[in-house]
Amino acid sequence: MARIEDSGGTATPQLQVGTPGAGGLGRRRFVRYLLGFSIVSSLAMIVTPIVGFLIPTRTASGTEGGRVLAGTLDALPVGSGAVVAVGAKPAVVVNTTAGIKAYSAICTHLGCIVAWDGPANTIVCPCHDGRFNPTTGAVVSGPPPAPLTPLTTAVEGNDIYIVTG
Amino acid sequence: MTAGAKSEEGPGGVLGWVENRLHLAPFIGALLHVRIPANAKTFYLGGITLFLFGIQVVTGTLLALYYSPTPEAAYESVLSITSDVQFGWLIRSVHHWAANLMLLFLVLHLLRIFVQAAYKYPREITWIVGGGLLLITIGFGFTGYLLPWDQRAYWATVVGTEIAGDVPVIGSSLLLLLRGGAEVSEATLARFFGIHVLVLPLLLGGLVALHLLFVHQQGLANPSRAEARPGRVTAPQPPDKLKPFFPDYILDEVIAWYAVLAGLVILASLFPAGLEPKADPLVTPEHIKPEWYFLAVYQLLKLVPETVGVVAPVALVMIIVLLPLLDRNEEIRPRRRPIALGLALVLLVAMAVLTYFGGRV
Repeated sequence: MARIEDSGGTATPQLQVGTPGAGGLGRRRFVRYLLGFSIVSSLAMIVTPIVGFLIPTRTASGTEGGRVLAGTLDALPVGSGAVVAVGAKPAVVVNTTAGIKAYSAICTHLGCIVAWDGPANTIVCPCHDGRFNPTTGAVVSGPPPAPLTPLTTAVEGNDIYIVTG
Repeated sequence: MTAGAKSEEGPGGVLGWVENRLHLAPFIGALLHVRIPANAKTFYLGGITLFLFGIQVVTGTLLALYYSPTPEAAYESVLSITSDVQFGWLIRSVHHWAANLMLLFLVLHLLRIFVQAAYKYPREITWIVGGGLLLITIGFGFTGYLLPWDQRAYWATVVGTEIAGDVPVIGSSLLLLLRGGAEVSEATLARFFGIHVLVLPLLLGGLVALHLLFVHQQGLANPSRAEARPGRVTAPQPPDKLKPFFPDYILDEVIAWYAVLAGLVILASLFPAGLEPKADPLVTPEHIKPEWYFLAVYQLLKLVPETVGVVAPVALVMIIVLLPLLDRNEEIRPRRRPIALGLALVLLVAMAVLTYFGGRV
């Protein structure tokens, strides 16, 4: 350890760095800082991959881009609707007078799955009776705070596709 | 409260708050403040094995959060862990390498105890419990190997369980019990997964606690002097030179753990755990081989009749586990135990040769 040497040969006592009152960083304290730094950096090294591992990947529950066959025009005449699976997520497809419309079937209120209510000509959420307009997805009545998320559809011949990604 | 009074009462702050309620200081003191022979040479092998087990518990728990133990999903979930999940390749590769190193260090620890004759009086039970730990660790390797459900995993398990089926008398029942049916199937995967993540960790944890308790009760063996036996008259000897277990020995041990952790990360980064094509019960791939620690048995089975090839390793393991009861020689100095060390050397060379030839394609 460095020490402040007595240069004059006088009676000035030698001052060790770290002696209380010398104003420097004490040896004991320096070693303690070093040890603390080592422990913290070791923990960081171990915890970083663990935390990273625990964070779910964005694609974990998502669906890959592409087209999913949602039904046929024969099975879905004008004025009817159905809930179909698009990958792991449900979608509601309705054949309206304005054409084929599809929305995410997850209710914007509390996440229940909506259904097609033919007689009332609305999309209905069975949990709290939220109702949506089949042509626009807008809320007609009930507690949902936002319209259903629209999905892109494509009709080829008799087949109805939902385009994702 | 004065500063002097505070230091007499023990630590302040959170530690003091807990201590005032639980009075753990004497217990922790009794665990840590023991003295060990100054000439004890453990090479930290047992502690490293314990450290690696700790790594297996952490990484294994993490892997179980993403792993699906069904034939339809197992392979894809391992693939996803390896390629999609952040640090997934690292966690999986560290689990893979720590498993291998754990067995390696366990065997080195066993050899150290054998050469120093630390299994003799009064430590016979500690050795036998250690033998149990060896068997459980091999069980970990065997059951964990199937979980990725790739071709290598599947067919190594088919062959491995088939070998168990050749054990005399109980073979067919053992085969059925291991596989949970006639073939390696969904039932086998569920069984191996349950054993790997639940049964074996609990067993190993319990036996490790016993093992450490015994070591604590008996202290480390002095490699240059046999323990005095009760009722024996021996020449008076100067007392052992001792050194503190804490912090002297523990500090060295932690440094060894750091070195192993560094080695582990390097191995996992340079040689990450791979994945073969998904298991196909209708196609056996060419040159299917087990893990390195089963290669000697694998090669032996090529050379001798099946029953011999199965019975010989089982008998050998039993001899190793029960060694303190079989070896009644009280001498501990290696030079005075030529037969024991000679036999061990022959066995090691034989296993090394079998492993070498077993590993060649």
